[in-house]
Amino acid sequence: MSQDRRTVLLSRLENRLAAGETASRMSVLCALTVEHLTVSGAGATVLASLADGDGQDPSRGLVHATNEISTGLEDLQLTVGEGPCLDAFVTGGPVLVADLTETHTRWPGFTPGALALGAAAVFSFPLHIGAARLGSLDMYHDRPGRLSDAQISDALILADLATHTVITELEGHASSDAGWLADPHAEIHQATGMIQAQLNTTTENALLRLRAHAYTYSLPLLDVARRVTDRQLRFTDEPDDDQQGTPA
Amino acid sequence: MTTRREQRLAQTFVALSDTLVDDFDVLDFLTLLAERATALLEVTAVGVILSDQRGGWHPTAASTEDAHLLQLLATQTHEGPCQDSINTSTPVTSYDLSAEHARWPTFSEAAVAAGFRTAAAVPMRLRRRTIGALTLLDTTPSAVDTNGIQLGQALADQATVGILHHRALRREETLVEQLQATLHHRVVIEQAKGILAEAGNLTMHQAFQLLREHARVHGHHLTDLAHSLTTRSTRADDLLEFRAHPSTDTRE
Repeated sequence: MSQDRRTVLLSRLENRLAAGETASRMSVLCALTVEHLTVSGAGATVLASLADGDGQDPSRGLVHATNEISTGLEDLQLTVGEGPCLDAFVTGGPVLVADLTETHTRWPGFTPGALALGAAAVFSFPLHIGAARLGSLDMYHDRPGRLSDAQISDALILADLATHTVITELEGHASSDAGWLADPHAEIHQATGMIQAQLNTTTENALLRLRAHAYTYSLPLLDVARRVTDRQLRFTDEPDDDQQGTPA
Repeated sequence: MTTRREQRLAQTFVALSDTLVDDFDVLDFLTLLAERATALLEVTAVGVILSDQRGGWHPTAASTEDAHLLQLLATQTHEGPCQDSINTSTPVTSYDLSAEHARWPTFSEAAVAAGFRTAAAVPMRLRRRTIGALTLLDTTPSAVDTNGIQLGQALADQATVGILHHRALRREETLVEQLQATLHHRVVIEQAKGILAEAGNLTMHQAFQLLREHARVHGHHLTDLAHSLTTRSTRADDLLEFRAHPSTDTRE
């Protein structure tokens, strides 16, 4: 059922892009989010300096937003240093607030400003793959009210598509198959950790190297991950020189 | 039910309640629950599977972090007693996995290859939803009996309580937030296991044990320690040193 929802949302995104929308893939995805979830606005922030950062850099980079209120909400959180998107990173899960007027104690700085901007409900979904923090997909509504279960499922799928979008933009080659994010096998994450230790690098970089290897050799990501966890494949500092162990 | 089993039962629920304090680590709790469940239900292995709330299911805790068990648990997110239990919201039992080819072609083959003879699954329910399942696997032909299923259900309910823990369920949103956070922390732990496994040439099971033991001795949350390894605020070598010389390590 939800495999269908994933497929439906992905094809809607691809159709919009194919229809010649000149905006970036992430902007188009934010517009799709607004339309599909019938929220008032959506914005995505992509964390800056992934390649060089230590993974903890709180400074945020590119903001894609569907309207000025969404942009304002993203900026406000940066200014006051609190809000749903920042909480989402701390807790590791989404932050869903159906009625902002109940959050004065939780976010004394953010709440009055957000209400003044015109938001009544806010929903923030972290974009991450474990410790690899990539950004967030944030939505607001101008009336209080919770997202339905179906809307939440779709919002989580849209967040997966957004996560995949950040990854492919970092990789520099398009791939619309975001299915790997739903893979229940732990080997992809274990292999990422092993590569991180092999290269003494960040989780983000390790994940990108793993995916780059799969892309270069046209192998399924899980297969490459298993070669790493089976210690048949090691990564070295030179991307073109990954060490194959005994050929399988 | 034997007296010995009653004692174990009491001890298990005391241990689980002791863990459910204000500030505890949900993945540590679910692992403890899976470990205790194997002893209590007299089965070989127990796994906790959770909904990703977009149609997928993810192994989240297990009685052992053995790589083959985790692979098998991942296999049964698509097909097997766990999926059937989730779909029907009732317990599902197989008394002979080798005869289940028609029902579960992929899972039964993988489970038998891993040495398991019987399997059962009980749903983790919350209100009208099924948020996950407990899978029980055994290498002996004696399947979990009715008492065992009831106990398994009680443990599955405890697991649900643990995931929601101190957050009162006043808000529907809390369930989504907590489930997603738990799944996220599981991914961080897998990444941290990889770091330790590589740095110390450990198996994934050894890496997990080291993470857990180090966190326990130092009074840290398992997930916090895993996260600080991935962000390199904690060095893998510090944990490996602790593993080599646990007694010389100063307790904080």
